[in-house]
Amino acid sequence: MTTAPTGTNQSTTLAVEPEPGRRKLSTAKAMQEAISQRMARDESVFVMGEDVGPYGGIFSSTTGLIDRFGPERVIDTPISETAFIGLGIGAAVEGMRPVVELMFADFFGVCMDQIYNHMAKIHFESGGNVKVPMVLMTATGGGYSDGAQHSQCLWGTFAHLPGMKVVVPSNPYDAKGLMAAAIDSDDPVVFMFHKGIMGLGWMAKNNRAIGAVPEEEYVVPIGKARVAREGTDVTIVTLSLSVHHSLDVAEKLEAEGISVEVIDLRSLVPLDRDAIVRSVTKTGRLIVVDEDYQSFGLSGEVIAVVAEHDASLLTSVSRVCVPDVPIPYARELESIVLPTPARIEATVREAVAR
Amino acid sequence: MTLSTTPELTEESRRSLLNTMVLIRTYEEAIRREYYADKMPAFDIGAGLVPGEMHLSAGQEPVAAGICAHLTADDALTATHRPHHVAIAKGVALRPMTAEIFGREDGFGHGRGGHMHLFDPSNHFSCSGIIAEGLPPALGQAFAFKRQGNNRVTVAVTGEGAANQGAFHESLNLAALWNLPVIFVVEDNDWGISVPRSESTSVTSNAVRAAAYGMPGVRVEDNSVEAVYAAGGEAVARARSGGGPTLIEVHTLRLWGHFEGDAEGYRPELKSVPDHDPLPRYRDELLQAGGLSAEQFQAMQDRAVEQVEDAIQFAKASPAPNPSEHLNYVFSEGVNS
Amino acid sequence: MTDVRFPQMTAAQGATGILVTWFVDSGDEVTPTTLIAEVAMDKVDAEVYPETSGTISLLVEEGAEVPQGSVIAQVN
Repeated sequence: MTTAPTGTNQSTTLAVEPEPGRRKLSTAKAMQEAISQRMARDESVFVMGEDVGPYGGIFSSTTGLIDRFGPERVIDTPISETAFIGLGIGAAVEGMRPVVELMFADFFGVCMDQIYNHMAKIHFESGGNVKVPMVLMTATGGGYSDGAQHSQCLWGTFAHLPGMKVVVPSNPYDAKGLMAAAIDSDDPVVFMFHKGIMGLGWMAKNNRAIGAVPEEEYVVPIGKARVAREGTDVTIVTLSLSVHHSLDVAEKLEAEGISVEVIDLRSLVPLDRDAIVRSVTKTGRLIVVDEDYQSFGLSGEVIAVVAEHDASLLTSVSRVCVPDVPIPYARELESIVLPTPARIEATVREAVAR
Repeated sequence: MTLSTTPELTEESRRSLLNTMVLIRTYEEAIRREYYADKMPAFDIGAGLVPGEMHLSAGQEPVAAGICAHLTADDALTATHRPHHVAIAKGVALRPMTAEIFGREDGFGHGRGGHMHLFDPSNHFSCSGIIAEGLPPALGQAFAFKRQGNNRVTVAVTGEGAANQGAFHESLNLAALWNLPVIFVVEDNDWGISVPRSESTSVTSNAVRAAAYGMPGVRVEDNSVEAVYAAGGEAVARARSGGGPTLIEVHTLRLWGHFEGDAEGYRPELKSVPDHDPLPRYRDELLQAGGLSAEQFQAMQDRAVEQVEDAIQFAKASPAPNPSEHLNYVFSEGVNS
Repeated sequence: MTDVRFPQMTAAQGATGILVTWFVDSGDEVTPTTLIAEVAMDKVDAEVYPETSGTISLLVEEGAEVPQGSVIAQVN
């Protein structure tokens, strides 16, 4: 049940609420807990995907669920994304609440028709008479040398196509809350989690991949960004793992008197345009840090939001993205194309110097 | 497990099958008339009361009537870009269906979907314009029915051209693997737009492919509504009793073009196509057998015209969708919590 | 003072594993249901919970190789 803890401020500027408490989880465990809590109270929620059963999901999104709920509700599929994602759609149409995993977002190529032409369009085409209350969760992101076909973010592509909500948590607290909100939603929600924020033992992890998470059930509303760090000199609008890198840079530059505000978008569809505009109105300098490809995507959209609102707000605009190149395998090359702390820092310095 | 016997065909049930076919044909002829009414003399696909593509199912009535005779409103059916015959046979109401084809506010989708995207939740009927992609969601409906412990089934209609699309193969495998109550109905009308089956398909019958995926497969060769009825009855009974999926391929007839406006220059047998029209053939069978009189047939036709013209008038009288509401229905209103 | 030990995950003598992730910091209050660490041995993961309540002190670094059974933290 969505809970508003007693005495908590319900303002739209959205402090982290409910209070996280002291108990810490990794992002992966937070996702597992959200799914588990929803499955416990609603028989119609089930999980389906490749290796989600005993393996627990390749990136630990479903560890422990099959032990608790059994193979009838945590289901391993054949390598048939079109078939099982479509199956999820049909089950959702008939009143179930599937949580379907697309192992890597990069694999959308083999099943995109079911996603964007069916899952995302059925509600509209039916004039609102048919709902598809489904979650499509998928792993994104690079930085561990998995190469061009296994390192992409691609949220810009999903966000671009009407009819599906897109959420991209950056931390354990938001991951649990957004997963719960996604399962609750009567709309199809694409839940995109960066492998680098999961807190996996076998991949280099940022220390914010482990964080305080309330034990109770709660939701983080879809469509609301969060001010991850307040500042006055420059706005970084970002998401996912790049939030952590941006915060690291902001902490470092604080010592030099550069005040960086970091906006964690959390959702792309709906996009919290007000939060973006509010921040840039304050700072006048906009940097978008986005691990997706630079051109024709999220970073351009964020800049357009501000420019359409009032282009005169902007004294400087820049973006730190993956350039328009497939992500290279060699570490020396991959580390150049990713939006690293070094690139972010250089961009901030350059922006405030103008 | 024991399959319940397919009900024997009585004279009344035969007339009922014919009636469904008559209603479908009357409907398709009327839509065709309306479609062309304001697009000529020079065909402009975007003009008129029913703009866009139009894929009519004349000649394929036996598939719809024979299969849907075994279904109730609670069973599900997913159809293709050529959906009208199975929609009608499934029991979809003609007025909102026609209004949707005309793009009107009182259509099933409030004009958002059009003829290839008809959704009637009360009949668990839907269709899609992407070849073969209606099969995976049908699996999901079957999965839900099985999970809910009822004996409802899902029919997934597709074409012989679609049987070469990846979604077809994935769906057959998964349906058999998970023993889902789904019936795959392949309408082999010989032509994937302009490409004949012999130039697209490595096997002569998709019933063979069914066996490869571990499910029973049957091919009905002669577009006979009673043969479809028999095969359909067995398949539906199998699915209802937990026996899993079946594939039925029907060698049917696309009486007209792939789409309206298709000159069909690629079709060498074009002149002889009307000779194989299944509707007069079945009518004559029943007349000869004595289970149908000329008066009864006339009454069927008159009744069909009445129903169809009523639906068309309803559609024409329905308002166009309000342009200021063009952003409606992308997402639902509420959140379930 | 209660010792928290790296779990016995194999019958082999002298086996070592990795302290993969700490979920608490030294000085945190813990109870028997507080997840304090995730460890790994031979690609098998295990979660570690203290058996008592109190204030925890961490004795090994994240990423350290640790003999199974050895003390990794203490709870006062």
